[in-house]
Amino acid sequence: MSRTFRVFWWLVFIVGAGYFFLPLIGTLAFSLRDKPITAAYTGLLENKQFLSTLLYSTTIGLATIVVSTALVVPTAFWVRLKMPRIRPIVEFITLLPFMVPPVVLVFGLISTYSRPPLPLTGSNTGSDVLLVAAYVVLSLPYMYRAADTGLSAIDVRALTEAAQSLGAGWPTILLRVILPNVRVAVLSGAFLTLAIVIGEFTIAIFLARPAFAPFLGLLGDKDPFQQSAVALVSFGLTWVAMIIISLLGRGSQTRITVGGAR
Amino acid sequence: MSRTADPFSARAAQRARPGRSRNLLPLLGLVPFFVFTSMFLLIPAAKLIIGSFQDSAGQFTLANYEDMTSKIVVNAYATSIEISIVTAIGAAIFGFLLAYAVISGGLPKPVRAAVMTFSGVASNFAGIPLALAFIFTLGRVGLLTVFLRGIGIDPYKAGFNLYSKIGLEIVYFYFQLPLMVLIIAPAIDGLKREWREAAENLGASSFQFWRHVALPVLMPSLLGAIMLLFGNSFGAQATAYQLTGGLINLVTLLVGDQLSGDVLHSPGKGMALAVGMIVVMAVALAGYALLQRRAERWRR
Amino acid sequence: MLTTTRTLSRTLALGAALVLIVSACGAAATPKPSAATGGTADPALVTAAKAEGGLTTIALPNAGWCDYQKLMDGFTAKYGIPISDLNPDGSSQQEVDAIKANKDNKGPQAPDVIDVGLGFGPTAIADGILAPYKVLTWDSIPDAAKNADGYWYGDYYGVLSFETNTDVVKNVPADWADLLKPEYKGQVALSGNPVKSNQAISGVWAAALASGGSADNVQPGLDFFKKLNDAGNYVPVIAGQATVVAGETPIRITWTYNGLGDKDAQAGKTNITVAVPTSGRFGGMYIQAISAFAPHPNAAKLWMEYIYSDEGQNIWLGGYCNPIRYDAMAKAGTLDPTAKAKMPDTTGAFLPTLDQITKATTAIAAGWPTTVGVVVPDK
Repeated sequence: MSRTFRVFWWLVFIVGAGYFFLPLIGTLAFSLRDKPITAAYTGLLENKQFLSTLLYSTTIGLATIVVSTALVVPTAFWVRLKMPRIRPIVEFITLLPFMVPPVVLVFGLISTYSRPPLPLTGSNTGSDVLLVAAYVVLSLPYMYRAADTGLSAIDVRALTEAAQSLGAGWPTILLRVILPNVRVAVLSGAFLTLAIVIGEFTIAIFLARPAFAPFLGLLGDKDPFQQSAVALVSFGLTWVAMIIISLLGRGSQTRITVGGAR
Repeated sequence: MSRTADPFSARAAQRARPGRSRNLLPLLGLVPFFVFTSMFLLIPAAKLIIGSFQDSAGQFTLANYEDMTSKIVVNAYATSIEISIVTAIGAAIFGFLLAYAVISGGLPKPVRAAVMTFSGVASNFAGIPLALAFIFTLGRVGLLTVFLRGIGIDPYKAGFNLYSKIGLEIVYFYFQLPLMVLIIAPAIDGLKREWREAAENLGASSFQFWRHVALPVLMPSLLGAIMLLFGNSFGAQATAYQLTGGLINLVTLLVGDQLSGDVLHSPGKGMALAVGMIVVMAVALAGYALLQRRAERWRR
Repeated sequence: MLTTTRTLSRTLALGAALVLIVSACGAAATPKPSAATGGTADPALVTAAKAEGGLTTIALPNAGWCDYQKLMDGFTAKYGIPISDLNPDGSSQQEVDAIKANKDNKGPQAPDVIDVGLGFGPTAIADGILAPYKVLTWDSIPDAAKNADGYWYGDYYGVLSFETNTDVVKNVPADWADLLKPEYKGQVALSGNPVKSNQAISGVWAAALASGGSADNVQPGLDFFKKLNDAGNYVPVIAGQATVVAGETPIRITWTYNGLGDKDAQAGKTNITVAVPTSGRFGGMYIQAISAFAPHPNAAKLWMEYIYSDEGQNIWLGGYCNPIRYDAMAKAGTLDPTAKAKMPDTTGAFLPTLDQITKATTAIAAGWPTTVGVVVPDK
């Protein structure tokens, strides 16, 4: 790779990093305007709800990732393999969540699932289920696009038929052939989903669940310095969570290739 | 990387052809998806559509759609679409460059992981915290603004204004760019492995490589990403609400005025506007599907 | 429902003489306890409420805003009933929609009571989502501030003021016209979007009153904000405590109770002064109501009793809000003197009627985009 190109890519990276870090520095500067200077952060450590809500949202996030991956990856795979003509319909459905306002979604879900046959809102577990379902819906556009992009980079047909000719059934094909090959894509989708869940406010608050974003939002009225501090700290903690996920996802490097040099 | 002229797909095509029943069987594989989306997405969406045709007493009416041709509404759709297109294409370009830089640009490996994970967090950093972050940085008395003034450049005197369409687009990039980086990464990953070396071995220049190999291969993914970015921006609301103070007209804000306001009493109108958004997305998707078909052909 | 009302005089002393009054006429039609102990709720109601085990409120801010948190804490401390608050920053429309969506739901997502803008009262009744109730102190609530059948009742009001960060702004503006001065360039902001937020629309209306308009003519207010924007004084941002403190919106048009709440919160950190404008004093009232589908109807009634008791009303006074029973309590001498002393002077504040509100809010919401905003007006 020529040197001028490398300089160019470094430049791109530095400009990008600058754009992303400046607003965070601005937030940090504001949070330090408290008197005394670290009051916002010490107050945070004493706030028990900070950790409990963050933990709750992270758990819900992981559940959402699992359900969403299990739902979307096989679907994207199946559409590509067997029913390419139905693709626009499926893509339209996956883009619908952008158009339905969160209040409409949450009130629609509450009114539907607060009565038989599926009265989910009556219990905490039921409400958690409803929350995960709502978040899977919110993650659909991102998960689907990520899965589809990942699948477009591999030869789905060839891999499937090779596996089938070796006697593999659908679950094996999906779990041990397709999934490892779209690892990068699924990881991207997982990051996006986790970020959505931790940052989501409206649905969590109307379903009366102890999530992180409502907690963060409420701080603003009480203490704007602490709100900025919490925003930064949660940014950092979420980043750490994602680094951990990406390290775990790096685990088994089994990649199956078909048809010559890859 | 799909190839049509290979024996495998020909045989598969043969198998799939006879009888209608065989054409419908594959649908079974999509049952989980359709069941789930019906239960948790299509029902609320249906309530939205039905609600747009109801008045406050629940009777059928078309009154909610009467305002759709008013200047305010048309202006809102136009502004929303404009901002969505600008941030989608802008983020597509810069996001692609950034993703390529960390994947294939020769940067140290940890940088890639850092950028990917950071993108994950930044992709949903929106609403009040993002608005405040930019106010603290680029507002009239923001950190960067004050710093620039100190060295003699006053951005606001030069015409810059955070509280403008351009300012809003700059803020929107904060979650659009990371989204692009994450979505296009797998495609770039799939690209770098064999094509680049093959092209170099055959003596192709960088430009030729991009024009004849890389871009055609990436085009479907790029189009899909742009579509996603467009939808993401079109449906964004919280950040815009904080930063526009009633001076920039967006559809999502109009929807929020009706559905989540303190003063107006026409949720039906809000729902009608949201149905309009669905129509816009459907049209955009149709255009995208057409482009996608041409891109797939270009790939082969 | 007030067919024959006897004038009752009661001493709402905190724990002094017990006066038993039985209200006759029309009592059969109104769902309210028959026996009243001065200032304290009917014990049967308290027992029933405690048995329900909780109260779900909605859109009650947990910081500032009339010191609502103190009110909620006081209720829980007094009766041992925990309160769960949905979406503290919610809007009136969301509160109404929450009741409707939760019609069949007795879970924690269903609100028992709502606190909404005055304009929402009649539509809520028409939608059939409210349950009527008249608190013990019903008669000392002014007639203009309540629905005769007991479906809704005013709770408090505040006046629009200029919350000013005096570390940044040396001369606190005294009146609306001052805001147009060049020294305030890039410093004045509203607390909401003038098509969505009650506070913001009231700001435009108040500016109208100060600029030659009236309750029925709000155009001068729109023109005022156009001038403000053209002069570069208007900052099109939703102002809050953070932006005031940061100096980005050092002059924020907001209710007195919000400004004073911020001032207390920032004591020792940022200097904030709240100035009530000399002209164009605009009062905004909110109303309470009980949901017809409340999972905890008795707790809801008990909550109302608490709010409208002297204790509750005084907590609001302490949060810089004018409680609706202010005049009656002033006459009876039951206002908390410390809180009363800290209240800003808001005499002459204009409190609009329901009809005026409907007309004016529609006019402002429709007029803002075309007058102040960037949209070319329809022909």
